[in-house]
Amino acid sequence: MDALVLDGSRGAECRDALAALHRALAEAGYTTEVIPLRERTIAPCRGCFGCWVKTAGECVIDDEGRQVARAIARCDLLVYLTPVTFGGVSFELKKVLDRMIPNISPFFARVRGETHHQRRYRKTPRVIGLGILSQPDREAERVFKTLVERNGLNLRTPCTAAAVVTPESDLGATASALVKAVA
Amino acid sequence: MTAEKRALLLVGSPRGIGHSTSDRLGSIVLDALKSRDVDTEKLHVHAAMDSPTALESALAAIGAADTVILSLPLYVDSFPAPVIAFLERIVQQRIGAGRARVFVIIQCGFPEKEQNATALAIAERFAAEAGWSWLGGVGLGAAEWQHKDVALALAPLAEAIANGTAVPQPVLRRAMPAWLYRFGGNVMWRLAARKHHATRSLRARPYDS
Repeated sequence: MDALVLDGSRGAECRDALAALHRALAEAGYTTEVIPLRERTIAPCRGCFGCWVKTAGECVIDDEGRQVARAIARCDLLVYLTPVTFGGVSFELKKVLDRMIPNISPFFARVRGETHHQRRYRKTPRVIGLGILSQPDREAERVFKTLVERNGLNLRTPCTAAAVVTPESDLGATASALVKAVA
Repeated sequence: MTAEKRALLLVGSPRGIGHSTSDRLGSIVLDALKSRDVDTEKLHVHAAMDSPTALESALAAIGAADTVILSLPLYVDSFPAPVIAFLERIVQQRIGAGRARVFVIIQCGFPEKEQNATALAIAERFAAEAGWSWLGGVGLGAAEWQHKDVALALAPLAEAIANGTAVPQPVLRRAMPAWLYRFGGNVMWRLAARKHHATRSLRARPYDS
């Protein structure tokens, strides 16, 4: 099984959490690839929908965003690792999530009573969200967990799990619990 | 309200000013504020993030405004990425802290306006972290299909925004039944692909392993 960790940190703020994730994923039998997004050249989505109506499931922007989208389509488990930013994900991670829309179909479907897009691929990865906060913030944590769950619905993933950690958290236990939750 | 009051529309769509639904919706409110003797200005967030000079100029404009209207499309349950980076700069530099007020308009490409709830919560978290007064926000679904109704619903909100009081939720019926939106949307995607001779590849899987 292949896990893909999208590291949305700007510097070293997610380093310890990444190490804990690595251990938990290895213990669960995953082969893990980590993409430090701050080191990748990925332009923001243009909102042109060319990936749906022109270029058949591939973004019209020819940069490293395409490679990340390919890796996401092929992995079994997708992990968001990010500083919690206003309750959401960081800019570094969001620039990639915005560029993931080629991986879903433009066509609409009814899902859990709401309108969403159909799957493009037969298989979609399970999703884990691990958010980093410098201090406890219940509202930011609630928003972050809701965001990961909503992303799962839009990306049509089989299941999601999310947690927020602070410097006082037990990173190893949290990472293991997240990996088990999507097993 | 006096002429010194200044409102700034931040357009958070990559399509920018003059070409986006975000601009059109935000401009309804901005024009209504202008008619109440408020000085108004528009900025495109993505353009501001293009260069350090543009960013500095945009942040200065925000520093001079007492009311900010942030209008953006829903992208993966949140804001387009450059908007997050831009708002982070505002918080880092404490621009408008303790003084600015913000009202947010988010529209999604689904018929259910409720799908904007998470992004509106993120906007409210931004306001709290920036030290800005939260005037409220409105989430719209399928706004591109009900131009007149949306204009009639949004323009009256300018009174509360100008007065700096909590903005009431506009009364707006759903543009069309959700099933009709899905059916019409699916037809529209086929027609759009036909223009690019890509109808047969609409369901392509280029990344299948």
